[in-house]
Amino acid sequence: MSLKWIGAIMVITGCTGFGLTIAAGYRREVGLLDRLLRALQAMRWELQYQLTPLPELCRKAGTDAGGPIGEVLAALAKELDRNNIPEVNICMRSALEGAGDLPPSVRRLLMQLGRTLGRYDLPGQLQGLRAVQSACEKRLSFLQKNRDVRLRSYQTLAVCAGVALAILFI
Amino acid sequence: MMCAWNELIGILPLWMRQEVDQSGKADAQELRLRLKGPPELVLEGTSRWLEGTVTREDLCFVINTASRYSPWAASTSAQGYLTAPGGHRIGLCGETILRNGAADGFREVSSLCIRIARDFPGVAKAAAGCGGSVLILGAPGWGKTTLLRDLSRQMADTEQVCVIDERGELFPNGFRRGKRMDILSGCPKSQGILMALRTMGPDCITVDEITQTEDCNALIQAAHCGVRLLATAHGTSLREIRRRPIYRQLLEQSVFDTLLVLRKDKTYRGEALTG
Repeated sequence: MSLKWIGAIMVITGCTGFGLTIAAGYRREVGLLDRLLRALQAMRWELQYQLTPLPELCRKAGTDAGGPIGEVLAALAKELDRNNIPEVNICMRSALEGAGDLPPSVRRLLMQLGRTLGRYDLPGQLQGLRAVQSACEKRLSFLQKNRDVRLRSYQTLAVCAGVALAILFI
Repeated sequence: MMCAWNELIGILPLWMRQEVDQSGKADAQELRLRLKGPPELVLEGTSRWLEGTVTREDLCFVINTASRYSPWAASTSAQGYLTAPGGHRIGLCGETILRNGAADGFREVSSLCIRIARDFPGVAKAAAGCGGSVLILGAPGWGKTTLLRDLSRQMADTEQVCVIDERGELFPNGFRRGKRMDILSGCPKSQGILMALRTMGPDCITVDEITQTEDCNALIQAAHCGVRLLATAHGTSLREIRRRPIYRQLLEQSVFDTLLVLRKDKTYRGEALTG
C-alpha cells in the first residue's frame, strides 16, 4: 500500500514540476522579450531625437527596460566606457557572459543587437534596431501562437497523470 | 599647461598606451597612425617612431573609442575629422565614399592624425589689452586655437563672452572657462553666431576657424550689432588674407580692429587694422 502512495506522489510531483517549469520558462521568455522590445523602442526614440552616444544610450535603455535585460545593457555600457575592446559585439559578448541564465532566443537577439550597434550612421542604425525589433516581435508572436497547443499538451499531461494514478490504485 | 591626457590615452589601442604615455606626456603635439606603419609621435620640434605596427583594427579602435562607438553622433567624420573626449581633434584620411559628388564618409580609413589639445593659461596676456574685434592668423598647428581660448577666457573676466564651439575643441571638459562665458557647442558657426546674438546678449562672440562665406556673413551681421568678435583664420599675413575673397569682405567692412599674426614658434605680433 505504501509503495502505491509513494508512486502516486512521484507521478504527481513529476508531472506538476514539469508543467510548472515549462510554464515559468515560457512566462519568463515572454517577459524578457517584452522588456527587450521596450529597450529597443527607447533606443530608437533616444537616437532619433537626441543622437545619444552609445554608452549613454545603453544605460538609459537599460534603466527603461529593467530586469535582466536592463542588467545586460548596463554591463554593456560599462564595457564600452572602459575603452578596452574594439568592437561593440565583443563588448556585448562580454556583458552576456556575466548575465547568468537567459533563454537562448533572448541571448541570440541580444547578440544580434550587439552586431548592429555602433556600426552605421543614424539611418543605418535605426534600420538595424528595427531589424532586431522585428526579430523580437516574430519570436513573441511565435510563442503566443503556440500557447494554445502548449496548453493542450499540459492538459493531456494532467489527464495522463490521472490515468497513471488510477492504474496505480486499482 | 593643461591637457586632457588620460582622455587621449583612453582612446588609443592598449598596446600603444604605455609608450605614448611615457614618451609624450610632457610635450607631444600630434600622434600619427598610418596603416601598416609604426606610430609617429610628433614632439616639440622633433618626432619619434614608436615600437609596433598599426593595423586596421587599431585604426578602427581609435575611431570607435573617440566617437564613443557612435558613428551617428560623430557626424563630422564625413568632413574628415572627429573630436575626441578632451578636445583632441582626429583627422581622418583614406578612401572616401562619394554621394552626389561630395564626400559622405570613409569606406576605409588608412591614416589618423591625432592633434593633442593643450591649454596654456596666460598665453594671451599680452593681447588682452587689444581693443575691438580681433582676428588671429596662423598656419595649422601654430597655436591659433590655444591663443583664442586664452584670449576669450581673459575677456570673460569683464565681458559676457559667448563661445561658438562647433567642434567641441575650444573648451572641452577639464579646461578652465572664463567667469562670464557661455558655450554653444556642436552648432555650425554661422547658425551659432546668430543664435547667440538673438538669445544670449553677448558683449563678445568667439569663433574658431572661419572658412565659409556663411560664417563671414554671420560675423558681419554680429559686428553691425555692436558685438565684439574674436576669431581665427588660416593665413600668415594680412596681405595673404586680402587676396582671399572670403576674408576680403570682412576687411572691407572693417569687422576686425586688430590682427594677431602667429609665428611658427607660437609667438605673435599685433597689427591695427583700422585708422
